Amino acid sequence: MIRFFVLFLLLLAVLFGVELTPWAQRWFVEPWTATLAKIATSLVALFDSGVTVSGKVISSTTSSFAVSIEAGCNGVEATIVLIAAMLAFPAPWKHKLLGLAAGIVAVQGLNVVRVISLFYLGQWNRDVFEWAHLYVWQALIMLDVLVVWLVWVRTLPVASASGRPPLPPASGAPAVA
Amino acid sequence: MRRIAPSAPLSRFILAVLAWLPVTFAVWYLAAPIILWPAVLLAEWAARAGWGGLVSAVDQHAAIVAFTTTLKPGAVVAGGVVTVDVNALLYSFGLPMFAALTLAAREPQRWRALALGYAALVPAIAFGIDADFLKNIAITAAPQVTSQAGFSAVQREAIAFAFQFGSLILPAVAPAIAWVLTHRAFLERVRRTEA
Repeated sequence: MIRFFVLFLLLLAVLFGVELTPWAQRWFVEPWTATLAKIATSLVALFDSGVTVSGKVISSTTSSFAVSIEAGCNGVEATIVLIAAMLAFPAPWKHKLLGLAAGIVAVQGLNVVRVISLFYLGQWNRDVFEWAHLYVWQALIMLDVLVVWLVWVRTLPVASASGRPPLPPASGAPAVA
Repeated sequence: MRRIAPSAPLSRFILAVLAWLPVTFAVWYLAAPIILWPAVLLAEWAARAGWGGLVSAVDQHAAIVAFTTTLKPGAVVAGGVVTVDVNALLYSFGLPMFAALTLAAREPQRWRALALGYAALVPAIAFGIDADFLKNIAITAAPQVTSQAGFSAVQREAIAFAFQFGSLILPAVAPAIAWVLTHRAFLERVRRTEA
């Protein structure tokens, strides 16, 4: 457990440091944030034609309200936490890669819900928007990361999840990892 | 063959967490002046220890931490000093998250876990408060203020990183780490049961 946490914190610091570099911002964070805005706008457009997107800004054409997806709301930090947690946990690489693929989709999927919900909450009540934006959704997204990690850990072979080899079978048959 | 235990299925736990969250958020918001008081004290102690020459007073008004500095705002406001208000709620929303996770887990020693988690999160909250304060006087304030603060370029970079880490990562990750560390037995049960 200590090894996991040390590795997790190390990976977290490195990945977060890389994310803050101008190179990563230009070539990854900004394009991803714009893509997130387009995805959210496309989904909203299915039931609301009064929405447009420009870069990372989603605007309502029926009111003057607009939301700009900034750092902390693009799901990149939550994804970094998930990547660090899965890479640090002892597991076969196949499980790690599958877990990362499914986990990133789950985290970013909920993040799209966050963006859309904030877009409408902001048009309805500014105080509720601030509360949801600054506190509630922050906690929910990290809860999502934790749940995804827990579900992933449950799928691991016992030997990997516990960090110990499996107990030998009573029948004397060879154990298969 | 996986064993189906009567306790701790993951789906029931997640529903319990979602049920507890409104309660814990309400308590956290209403009791913020009391709950945040130790973190504000620690933030004040750290600020005075690290940058005593820049801080003349630290006051708490509900969830707002007001830093009174020794910095002058410039010629426009003669005789005044720069004050920085920091919203401590921004760095403490992990407290209701940790409480909801702990209460939903329903472990026998949940009050001990709550106390341990709270003690572990107070320094993280204080870190966020101080990083926000430093970011204000070293980076986002007017040039005549940042120049008085006297931080080097390297120090400003470190402050920027500390602020980003203290606002984007630490408030959400710290409660998750604290919860995992205080619920290892619960996690082991969850791992071995069906959802």
